[in-house]
Amino acid sequence: MKHTARIVLLSVMALFVTSGLRAQQHQVRTMLVGRGAPAEFVDQVTAIVEQTEAEQLPTEPLVSKALEGWAKRGRVPADRVIVVMTQLQGRLRIGRELAIGTGMEAPPGAVIAAAAGALGRGLGREEVVEILDMAPDPETAATGLTVASALSAQGLERAAAVRAVTDAYRGGLSLEEVLEFPSVVSGLRAQGEPMAGIARRIMEGGGLPVPMGQGHGMGGQGGPPAGVPGAQPGTAAGQNKKQRGQSGT
Amino acid sequence: MTSDSDKFGSEIQRYLDGEVPADAVDSSERAEADRLLDATADYARRMELPGPDIDRAVMASIRARADEDRKSVLSWLFQPHVYQVRPALAAAAVVILVAAGVLGGSFRDRAPTAVEAAAAPSTILVRFELVAPNADRVSLAGSFNDWQPDGVRLIQNPETGVWTGTVPLRPGEHQYMFVIDGAEWIPDPDAHAQVDDGFGQTNSVIVVGPRGVIRS
Repeated sequence: MKHTARIVLLSVMALFVTSGLRAQQHQVRTMLVGRGAPAEFVDQVTAIVEQTEAEQLPTEPLVSKALEGWAKRGRVPADRVIVVMTQLQGRLRIGRELAIGTGMEAPPGAVIAAAAGALGRGLGREEVVEILDMAPDPETAATGLTVASALSAQGLERAAAVRAVTDAYRGGLSLEEVLEFPSVVSGLRAQGEPMAGIARRIMEGGGLPVPMGQGHGMGGQGGPPAGVPGAQPGTAAGQNKKQRGQSGT
Repeated sequence: MTSDSDKFGSEIQRYLDGEVPADAVDSSERAEADRLLDATADYARRMELPGPDIDRAVMASIRARADEDRKSVLSWLFQPHVYQVRPALAAAAVVILVAAGVLGGSFRDRAPTAVEAAAAPSTILVRFELVAPNADRVSLAGSFNDWQPDGVRLIQNPETGVWTGTVPLRPGEHQYMFVIDGAEWIPDPDAHAQVDDGFGQTNSVIVVGPRGVIRS
């Protein structure tokens, strides 16, 4: 009787583990089939996701890319989607290696995904490592990588994008404040400041103006980014063209 | 078999009906008749209809019963019990529960409604707009709605030709494109950045902060 109970217990545990791993595969398969993707394409996508899961890498970026590729199928051949997914899978592997190299024993999926995204946007391995090294914790590391790659995509020099983030870490800025940087840069550009000027300000140690009301006693909630010339109290730079979002909570 | 009414003559019946005085009938028969009258009165008292307090009394009785039931449920919950379980049936139940959880994932293949997402903690409402006066339909597809081409439909201002839509997004980076008339994919010129999508096009990027988004 004891023997039977042990077998049942082990079977149930194995079932839980495998069902968790298969949930993501099942989800992408269901979604693609539901959207009319052919079986061969679905099988190829699922195989990549399955392999990635087996390597304990995050699969969400791959699933998103597969769904994006299929959604754009009028312009994108299915085999191109598989190629892009495979390239992304390679960057995820590198991202994990880099994170482990900075001392994270088991880097969270968000860090690996953010590192892969930064590499895909053209940040070098050294720059990724610099951000990982400077981050006080994995969550902040993931945000810093995302923001640095976004700043770079906005047109900021890579060195300045990385410096903006690492200076923010040194200055003890919160994760929320770092997330504001792309909006701050857009605001500065809307005010007529050239990217070269913004980059110079960062590289000279001036940093990016921190939005007020973010926990460092720099002003009230909803104010403009500090230092943005011409901004009126209670309004945000560039608000004449695009309004800030409203909190949904 | 004889009934009580068979014992009496018509005089007694009239007495019982109150039609003749008591001294008009035999004394022994009258005594028996009086006994019957007393018994009848007693029966009538027992059958008396309930008074106005009956509702209150009934409800009090029900509440008392409910309290007893609640106490017994609590008592059952906090007392140890011994059950016999067939391992095969228990495993089957677990399999069903797990399968339900896995299948439940397939229901995530849809964009959250604005109400659902707005109700979720730490989401920010972000407004998108596109000038497309000649479009019949404009929607938004992106990483936030699993790239469903018809996931978020924008609404047109017929006077200006501007299509707008507000989407609840979590803080962080999101990639997206506008989809015109279900076929033409175009980036958002007001996004934070445009990035290579790997497929020969560019995705628009916004990074949502805790206070929203400023676009150029």
